[in-house]
Amino acid sequence: MRPESLSELQLDAIREMGSIGAGHAATALAQITGRPVDIDVPEIRLIPVADVPHALGGPEALVGAVFSRLLGDVEGSVLFLATREALLGLVDLLHSRPVGSTTSLGAAEESVIAQTGFVLVTAYLTAIGRLADLTILPSRPAFAFDMSGAVLDSIAAEVGMKADTAILVKITFSTEEERVDAVVLYMPDPDSLEVMLGKLGVV
Amino acid sequence: MNTGEFALAEHPQVLLTPALGSCVGVAVWDAARRRGALAHVMLPTPQSTTVDGNPDRFASVALPRMVALLGEGAGLKRFVAKIAGGAAMFKGDTLMASIGDRNVEEVKRQLGLLKIPVLAEDTGGSHARTMEFHLDTGLVIVRSYLYGIREL
Repeated sequence: MRPESLSELQLDAIREMGSIGAGHAATALAQITGRPVDIDVPEIRLIPVADVPHALGGPEALVGAVFSRLLGDVEGSVLFLATREALLGLVDLLHSRPVGSTTSLGAAEESVIAQTGFVLVTAYLTAIGRLADLTILPSRPAFAFDMSGAVLDSIAAEVGMKADTAILVKITFSTEEERVDAVVLYMPDPDSLEVMLGKLGVV
Repeated sequence: MNTGEFALAEHPQVLLTPALGSCVGVAVWDAARRRGALAHVMLPTPQSTTVDGNPDRFASVALPRMVALLGEGAGLKRFVAKIAGGAAMFKGDTLMASIGDRNVEEVKRQLGLLKIPVLAEDTGGSHARTMEFHLDTGLVIVRSYLYGIREL
């Protein structure tokens, strides 16, 4: 099954999975920061991988990305993606510093972002796995920070052999003082998507 | 110009392709006519598992087609090439890291088959590049956040 041939009911099921996954990710983020984190999922839609840069401020906009392959009952990959500004905010949030304290992303910040991105992705996958009664584990994450077009090109080259349409989940994390917009790009292989939807009873 | 496409142009037009990651930008210049072509290839060769889509994203498909179009009506085909890209954007994922290298390899193989010498290249590493191709002098400008501006 290919993402572009999904029915409205199946899309609803995927949106539901997306919201539940995002909720778990917010819980994880609240535990890390020790502060309540609100979560909003303004948008879940299908998008060709190649079009993602345009949704993130153009191909030359700086983004950070955490990429992980899916292991267990499903195959595919998942990408956590946020703009440079959002990542600076995320680092402030994680260090309980006032907004705007972090102005550059060095090795220490990269490491914090990569780990947090990975925790969020894992929380996400665990929630989906529980819902669909499947074991879904992420592989060791890989991190990139550069032009969004180049980052997504590399992903498209990697997954494009099997699936070129991804499920895009926009997520807004917010505490009282900070707001972080991020994107989770979920790219199951066509066969795995069918397995998942079958488990949810919406084939 | 976007990923998986190529374009032909004549001076004073400038060809530009943004944000090359593991993709490779291939600039082929016809000095005599101040014309040129730029391709943004994503993968080396099509495979049986490949889903449908734009075939020009493959180096082995796009380059022969592009050079044939560029050669139409040219008396002497003395083309030269400059290439950029082929980076490994994600550190720590070896499977993905090899795509850039394989792209560069296939691009050079195809240019070799077409008997087009590669005059200059800025390939490999782990940073994104934007490529700009000026058709009067054959100058290629490569921009990146890491190294700023490089001229090829």
